Amino acid sequence: MADNDRLIFFWGRECPHCAKLHPTVTEASSELEKPITELEVWHSDENATLMRTYGDVLKKACGGSLGVPALYNERTQKALCGMRVTKEDILKWARE
Amino acid sequence: MTKEAHARKKAWRCNVCNDIHYGIKGPEICPTCGARNAFALIDHPEAMKVLIDRGERLDQEDQLLDVWQRFAKDKPFRLNPDEPFVRQLARGEIENQKNHGLKYCPCRMTTGDYEDDLDLICPCNFFIQPVYKETGECWCGLFVKR
Repeated sequence: MADNDRLIFFWGRECPHCAKLHPTVTEASSELEKPITELEVWHSDENATLMRTYGDVLKKACGGSLGVPALYNERTQKALCGMRVTKEDILKWARE
Repeated sequence: MTKEAHARKKAWRCNVCNDIHYGIKGPEICPTCGARNAFALIDHPEAMKVLIDRGERLDQEDQLLDVWQRFAKDKPFRLNPDEPFVRQLARGEIENQKNHGLKYCPCRMTTGDYEDDLDLICPCNFFIQPVYKETGECWCGLFVKR
């Protein structure tokens, strides 16, 4: 049965901001009880489709269009987006 | 651009030099030959046949960097001076063109709606983005305010 209570990090392989944010996400994930699931979206139709299902929330967080890097909390349905996200932002978003 | 505005766009052909324009109306002055009031409405199949494909492609990193430099010339923004960063974006766009058909920004994600996704082709209309107003950079950081 699919886990619908995930903390998801949507990222793109050729997105430089995603690469920069990646260590921050990894560090935050290591401090959480539930690790963050990392899903690459430009090279996986399945992951892209999942990201689009959360499109309304993600678009708002990303300034109007879908963007990466983006984080989506399936439990709270809240999102973070962009390269300026901090570890503290992620921990707060995950534990809310 | 809204879908309504997209829907109003048509193809136009200069009857002097066969320039093709895609928009709500044809240009008053042809940018190639200078003819006035020379654009006539045509249909999509004719437009596609008039455009001669000589096999030239913009699918190399250096070509994209050159295009972006020229785009930013004399504008209130410039190409990000961090060349490795810019080259990574170029590789991403080339990859997206190969896999998804257009040079979509690698820091965006397509919705699957073709018309909506036209707004994600680089360079996008980043002036209207909140992030450009707040930080002086487009969403992906390719262009930065001077």
